[in-house]
Amino acid sequence: MSPTRKHRFAAFSPQGIKRHVGRPSVFLGRVVWVLPLCVASAQAAPSPPPTALPQAEAAVWLQKMADAARHMAYEGIFVVRQGDNIQALSVSNRLVGQGDESRLVTLDGNLREVRCSKTGAVTLVSDGNQVRMEKRLSRRHFPDLLPANPRALLNWYDVRLGEPARVAGLDCRNVEVLPKDAFRWGYILCAERDSGLPLKAVLVNGNNQPLMQYAFAEVKLAASVGPSSNALKPPAWATVHPTLLPDMPEPARPVETEQIVARILPPGYVRITAVKRHLPNMPGEVEHWVFSDGLTHISLFLAPNSKPAHSVRGESARGMVNLMRRQVGGFQATVLGDAPWPAVETIALGLEPRK
Amino acid sequence: MNTTHEAGDSAYDNLSALLDGELSDQGARLAIRQLRDDPTRQARFAEYCAIGDLLRGQHEDLPGLTRKVMAALDDEPTVLAPLRKPREKRPLLWLAAAASAAITWGLWSALPSQESSAPLAAIPTPADVMPYLVAHQDYAQAVLTTPEMHYTRVALSGEAR
Repeated sequence: MSPTRKHRFAAFSPQGIKRHVGRPSVFLGRVVWVLPLCVASAQAAPSPPPTALPQAEAAVWLQKMADAARHMAYEGIFVVRQGDNIQALSVSNRLVGQGDESRLVTLDGNLREVRCSKTGAVTLVSDGNQVRMEKRLSRRHFPDLLPANPRALLNWYDVRLGEPARVAGLDCRNVEVLPKDAFRWGYILCAERDSGLPLKAVLVNGNNQPLMQYAFAEVKLAASVGPSSNALKPPAWATVHPTLLPDMPEPARPVETEQIVARILPPGYVRITAVKRHLPNMPGEVEHWVFSDGLTHISLFLAPNSKPAHSVRGESARGMVNLMRRQVGGFQATVLGDAPWPAVETIALGLEPRK
Repeated sequence: MNTTHEAGDSAYDNLSALLDGELSDQGARLAIRQLRDDPTRQARFAEYCAIGDLLRGQHEDLPGLTRKVMAALDDEPTVLAPLRKPREKRPLLWLAAAASAAITWGLWSALPSQESSAPLAAIPTPADVMPYLVAHQDYAQAVLTTPEMHYTRVALSGEAR
């Protein structure tokens, strides 16, 4: 038996407990010293984080922001910051009948323009002396980030009211849309005081660290957007390179027979798109599926591949974009999205050949 | 009184060793035989078991434990001298480590286990990934720029490495 055996339960035996506690007067004396420190630290501590809004109130905030981005006219310039990269874009949105039309133009770097209307969306890309037009499957872009019916998001996100702020000279209120699990990123949106239009959006990870930020540098809202500035003008650079390439890819068409099935999806995700499409600089057609919870989108590309390749994981700086490629039956499956790795991995590993 | 208690503790040392499973087979047989024949030893053994249960949070059915502990405290002199911290491992730490290991195992096993992935090595950008990144921009937050990516090869179970 070891010499220290007799101390085995010393700390937990009645006498040991009493040794640690000491006399009541000594104990109280320590409390008297510690209490002021606790009070001081409580006073110095930052205000507690906001609690999640009740569902009804949260739904009102989300709906107000979603409606403003779709149903009001605005134009301005916003800046996108992703890691060390900063890009400025002009944006305009005007109301046409029951819908809206928007235009997005890069102000630095390569010339690109996105045009969205109720009939669809295209991206115009400057390609040497010509302009290439590419079909775009989605017509949403900042500040239109929320789905038309955002109430369902409350199953997967908590909504909290943050501090008032000022963006592009306008007062706004921070609204935090934070995930309840590890399968999606969160957003902190700054809703303009009156209209609710998101003036700023910060994509944050699970530790509330920013992954990407959008913010208007200047913006005119509905009342101040005049008829002349409201109209969508042809892009200035189109007059320099007016020729559209004749071989605009044919529109995407629905997948007819599915040979792959997604057995497992992250909670809240559903498939919203499954099309066959031609991709620029790529021979043949690929299947493009999109899974979404309404706010986060993950793409799956399926390309016929008879020669299996190694599985690959891809990750962007700070982990905002994740990618996984693996062989599934006779297809090379590439899953990628602005989503946490568990969400991308779950979809990729849940793919199976349809039996 | 203190001396008496320490002597008493020493006499029952093999009980705590028995609880910790640190006795040899022969020592364990001896301790059990002593336990069977000595009511005082049985009471002390029950007390040690109760303390262990309390530490593990299994204290729902311990009638009179609080009263016994408080009575024992009242019988003890107050020791103001600093208590030397024992160096040996405490059962509490083992419990915490075991709980941590169990949670880790649970989380690990809850992941898709059929084809868990393990990173192998960084590789160049696969040639045909860029069109996919561009095509995903239809839905991506980075409206008009593709992110810089780095890639690693991963091994999935059932896949040749």
